[in-house]
Amino acid sequence: MATAKRYRLSKLERDERRLGYALLAPAALLLLAVVVYPIAELLANSFYSFRLTRPGYRFIGLENYAFALFEDDRFLHSVLNTVIFIVVTVPGALFVGLGLALLANQPFRVKWPVRLGLLLPWALPLVFAGLIFRWFFDFRQGFVNWLIELAGFDPPQWLSDPQLAFAAVCVAIVWKSSSFMALILLAGLQTIPKSLYEAAEVDGASRFQQFVEITLPMLKPAIVVALIFRTITAIQTFDIPYAMTNGGPGTATETMAMYIHKTTIDFLDLGYGSALATLMFLISIVATSVYLRHTKRDTGRG
Amino acid sequence: MSTYRALFASAALALPLALAASPADAQQTTLRIFVGGQQRPDVMRQILDVYQQRNPGTRVEIEIGGATSDQQQQYLNTVLTSRDAAIDVMLIDVIRPAQFAAAGWAEPLDAYLGAEKDAIMARYLPAYREANIVGGKVIALPYFADAQFLYYRTDLLEKYKLQPPKTWEELASTARTVMQGENNPNLRGFATAGAPIEGTVCTFLVPMWGAGGQFLGAQGKPDVNSAQARRALQLWTDLKAANVTPPNLAEVVTDRIRVDFQAGNLLYAMQWGYAWNRFQNDADSTVKGKTNVVPLPGFAGNQPATCIGGWQIAVSAYSRNKQAAVGLLRYLSSPEVSKMQAILASHLPVFAEVYQDADVLKVNPWFQFARNVVVTGRSRPVSPDYPEVSEIIRTNMNAFLAGTRTADQVIADMNSRLARVYR
Repeated sequence: MATAKRYRLSKLERDERRLGYALLAPAALLLLAVVVYPIAELLANSFYSFRLTRPGYRFIGLENYAFALFEDDRFLHSVLNTVIFIVVTVPGALFVGLGLALLANQPFRVKWPVRLGLLLPWALPLVFAGLIFRWFFDFRQGFVNWLIELAGFDPPQWLSDPQLAFAAVCVAIVWKSSSFMALILLAGLQTIPKSLYEAAEVDGASRFQQFVEITLPMLKPAIVVALIFRTITAIQTFDIPYAMTNGGPGTATETMAMYIHKTTIDFLDLGYGSALATLMFLISIVATSVYLRHTKRDTGRG
Repeated sequence: MSTYRALFASAALALPLALAASPADAQQTTLRIFVGGQQRPDVMRQILDVYQQRNPGTRVEIEIGGATSDQQQQYLNTVLTSRDAAIDVMLIDVIRPAQFAAAGWAEPLDAYLGAEKDAIMARYLPAYREANIVGGKVIALPYFADAQFLYYRTDLLEKYKLQPPKTWEELASTARTVMQGENNPNLRGFATAGAPIEGTVCTFLVPMWGAGGQFLGAQGKPDVNSAQARRALQLWTDLKAANVTPPNLAEVVTDRIRVDFQAGNLLYAMQWGYAWNRFQNDADSTVKGKTNVVPLPGFAGNQPATCIGGWQIAVSAYSRNKQAAVGLLRYLSSPEVSKMQAILASHLPVFAEVYQDADVLKVNPWFQFARNVVVTGRSRPVSPDYPEVSEIIRTNMNAFLAGTRTADQVIADMNSRLARVYR
């Protein structure tokens, strides 16, 4: 057949293709070793009773999953905490980040102080941020209670009240993550052509109308990208509550990642910990695919 | 991890060895010991220098890591689950030998001690002898002892002509007397650990034991659904309601108690032995010479009890120099080193006779009282799953002290979760 003949490769082309595979092989093998193998091992372990503190490695099917989903209140509580953290801090960081990005996009003559202010929280290690905020909200020596006492009110015990501790952790997360949001949104803002605003000005649109009609729609792709990244990292929230409250009081601020860490690293229950990690992985995938579908539909329409 | 390290190590070793392989290098054994920042690595170094002088063929390096028992254990968990041979000898908390035995992380010492085993073990204080033998095997040897004491301000008690309390009831009433008399808004009567940390386990156990309660019920399973456990919880509720304890008890970590007591803001404190030195020697201490210790109180009509602590030394099962490591371990767990530690670091000895040593008492006159406390000390629950047992107790206590869970909820949650660990 003529078509078959057209697709037949010459010797040179075949050699080139082979070379291509050979060159790809190291990267593929590396990925296999550091991504695929650990995930496969994790999945396998999740079907076993596998505790380093006790001898034995016993297949138990779905028992770990059943316990996590139907009996382990603490896991479900940690999932709920994580969801509330996402619902509060992702939009929170978006609003604060958008404000910061708009501010940084102003035609300042000296740009570096604003840029530095944006970058600094982002560059700070998460555990650092957690520790700083723990001292901020300290009952007796904290800055927040100092202000409250200065204003003449009774200082609350931020980190030993479940609701207040949760709020304090949210404040720390929003502070830490809004600069990342702002950086992405700032990049988006700078791609919007000036001519659009000039045209709007000629038509007599107010600043607010310009923001709603031009800035927000043009910024939407950047917002979605920022939301996806932020949500994925929010599902994995660990460092800040770990350093601020260690999940306390009780388990009031314990997230999924913290409970998994405790189960595997502290309790050495690798089987159950693997099952919990797999569940978290599934939740991550679901959340991401919801966002991705949303964006696909959008680009299809536009 | 270990393979990478081995690769790097062999690459790094190959070059100088190829250039100048001297026979002396081949004889040298290098041991690595893991110590936490709070166990005075500086003093450990002095002790090791003596050992190196006596054993010229052995060099001992110190690896320092972790400021708390939990952090040290997290690091060791990573090293030992990956079967890393980088650490030969390690300091482990008194609550850990059961876990190390079950996980097979510590080299059992019976074969190395041989016929002397019983004689060697008999010399240690009973609580430490028992803590280090798991299932008939010697898992580790004691390095230094510790216990929780009731620290009190001698000047304040004298001022109000009060005696140090023997019962929790006396503690509450004397604290109220002093607080009312002093009328100092910063002064509180008593503090103990309440944050979700290891020390908070003792905040639950000590008053429960002091009410005559036991952690294990019938058939060796944990049962905290007892009148004694409720009494322990009620004690903290009452002390908090009477403003004897700081209002943020659920945030209090071990060293915060030390800082507050040192600043003169506490009358009594439930605290480990390390604080004594800080009270007497720190530049910012306002309580120099105004401090003493007594055993922790019990409830009227019951035997008081305290939590023992302290650090043990074990040989890693993955060490490549076990014979040399055991030699070092024998030295570190000897009366000679116990005495050195007592003088250099005020570490409580694990041998009864060192408490009476004249040189030791000259530096630490309070050891004459300390010994009585240490010998009445009790071990926290022994379990290979101790980290989980501890976490169940401390998380519940923390929630209880924060006022977010009731005594009934705490007891029910502890019992159901402990049952799963001990099943």
